[in-house]
Amino acid sequence: MPRYPLIKSVLPHVIAVVIAAISMIFAQTAISAEKAYKNWDDVVSAAEGGTVNWFMWGGADNINSYVSDFVGSELKKRYGITLNRIGINDTAEAVNLVLGEKQAGNHENGSVDLIWINGGNFRSMKQGELLYCGYQNLLPNNRQVNWQDQSIANDFGLAVDGCEVPWNRAQFAFAYDSARTKNPPQSIPELIDWVKAHPGEFTYPAATDFNGSVFIRHVFYHAAGGVDALLGEFDQQKFDAVAPKAWAILNEMEPYLWREGKTYPNAIANLAQLFANREVALYFDYDPAIFGINVENGIFPESTRSYGLKDGTIGNTNYVAIPYNSPNKAAAMVTANFLLSFDAQFEKAKASIWGAAPAIDVSRLSDAQQAQFAGLPRNPAVVAPEALAKNALPELHPAWIDAIEKGWQENVAK
Amino acid sequence: MAPGKNGQGLPTLVWFSLALLVTWLILPLLPLAVWSVSRSWYFPDLLPSAYSARAWTYVFSPTSDILPALGRTALIALGATFLSALVGLPAGRALGLYQFRGKAIVELLILAPTIVPGIAVALGLHVVFLKLGLAGTAGGVVIVHLIPTLPYMVLVMAGIFSNYNPDAEAQARSLGAGYFQTFYYVTLPAILPGLLIGSLFAFLVSWSQYILTLLIGSGRVVTLPLLLFNFASAGRNDITGAISIIYILPGILLLFLGARHLTGRNRTLENLKQI
Repeated sequence: MPRYPLIKSVLPHVIAVVIAAISMIFAQTAISAEKAYKNWDDVVSAAEGGTVNWFMWGGADNINSYVSDFVGSELKKRYGITLNRIGINDTAEAVNLVLGEKQAGNHENGSVDLIWINGGNFRSMKQGELLYCGYQNLLPNNRQVNWQDQSIANDFGLAVDGCEVPWNRAQFAFAYDSARTKNPPQSIPELIDWVKAHPGEFTYPAATDFNGSVFIRHVFYHAAGGVDALLGEFDQQKFDAVAPKAWAILNEMEPYLWREGKTYPNAIANLAQLFANREVALYFDYDPAIFGINVENGIFPESTRSYGLKDGTIGNTNYVAIPYNSPNKAAAMVTANFLLSFDAQFEKAKASIWGAAPAIDVSRLSDAQQAQFAGLPRNPAVVAPEALAKNALPELHPAWIDAIEKGWQENVAK
Repeated sequence: MAPGKNGQGLPTLVWFSLALLVTWLILPLLPLAVWSVSRSWYFPDLLPSAYSARAWTYVFSPTSDILPALGRTALIALGATFLSALVGLPAGRALGLYQFRGKAIVELLILAPTIVPGIAVALGLHVVFLKLGLAGTAGGVVIVHLIPTLPYMVLVMAGIFSNYNPDAEAQARSLGAGYFQTFYYVTLPAILPGLLIGSLFAFLVSWSQYILTLLIGSGRVVTLPLLLFNFASAGRNDITGAISIIYILPGILLLFLGARHLTGRNRTLENLKQI
């Protein structure tokens, strides 16, 4: 029977084409549904009564309270949106959730509406096409963001491309107890000498920790003679030229570290504990607001002070992003827009609330609002963001960071 | 040897092991209690230099979601315990009483979840649960908790049934008891201590699940371990201490409630008379 094999061989193709056509129709409707918001009013009316499941690191009670109490109640009052804060241990958990949903074919009814994100997690989501992009011009408060600023337009060297909305800025700084330490080191070369002169009084978390990794990058920048050579895509030749110098510096420091460098704290919280216990003299953090929070919480002594380095410290912006399969995109956009508002940014800039540096360009605000920002009392433990920003260094592309972290494990930690 | 001496020696040993047990169980919990009311506590101070009720205020505030999470965690653990008893009892009976081909493999498979790390299974399971529409629901979380709880339940029940004589059931049946009466008056009293121990294990194992709850619950089913780990990993010892104290209460409560029933052996014959 010659006709049977023909049908057998053609039929699967027909089915495949039909399936492809159907899925294309669905894909089309999905895209057009997302483009249905002609203007902001459309978004706001679509958002009313919606729920936003916001996945964010949940380890700070003051940030939790700011989000649940202030942001949550304002969203309810102004837009009728219910904010559901979901505290997680590690942002990667939320990324994996969205990834799993995509693999299972759940493209419309995901469980995550908003993620507090940056760096490697943003790269994973952007490259995996897990994000909803291109809505930032709809947000009225987007005009308060300076997208010309490269440290906002690029998240760890990766172009944002409208796939996330800035929320906070952070810049690495050192902290010390002014009652105990008189002249803390002011640059990476000074730090190297200082560590040798004060054995056992310094250490840094392993490269697996976010803050440990950024400290190692400071040494790496120093070894490279500046960050300029390291910007852009990862370059193995450049890496191989700089890396041995950086490992040599860190290995030379090792015997003078806390516990002779035989072990490294595995998390920044452990370094904070060592500093609180006066076992080490220096602490550092990517977010200087944490110094003030720790003093407020009684973890750090009142005499804690902080500073940036003469040769600069690395800064980043952190963002909120909407997954592609969020069923509440309109409500998530309204939330992202509210987070950029003067009210929300000013509230979280208060030292008693959080003390986070604004992601908006304060000079674009009204004079009265600018005066309010200028008049904010700052915890004396927290270095002025303006002073830090004078010597700001950019972050590297995530591929560089991966290579440095891996190299540290192989050459320094061993 | 005087009989009194023997009688004296035993209590000393009992007291010693009791003291050791208390030291072992209670002493590590003391710092948690102190942390929960401390404001600043620096090494090497023996006691905090400042106290505060802040951690407890946060724990009892609606923002923290701790008390609703306590109820949620308890319901999920009870559900997982009930289901694992429902499945584990017949399975344990089959493994304990009967010899059959491939028994060793079945036992190994039942043990497998305790050997394979949860995270490896959880990611794959998440996709399956999503397809079944169970992800993000408390019911899905209860079902996924059966993976770590069942091995304990089945193994404890298998141990109990291997020392169990089903002839008593035949006796009861010959005296005219129905299936349910036989189970209730004969089987259940005999296996009750084991069932309680298995349930206690199942409850506590479900109570402490983190990664399975997070993934299958899609973050929407918030249990106490999820909230606890947030603060433990952030180094907030005061709030961690406060949540920990709430976290261990049900375990202690169950232990005391269960302890009374754990020695209920040899009630089978007594109950036979009631038929």
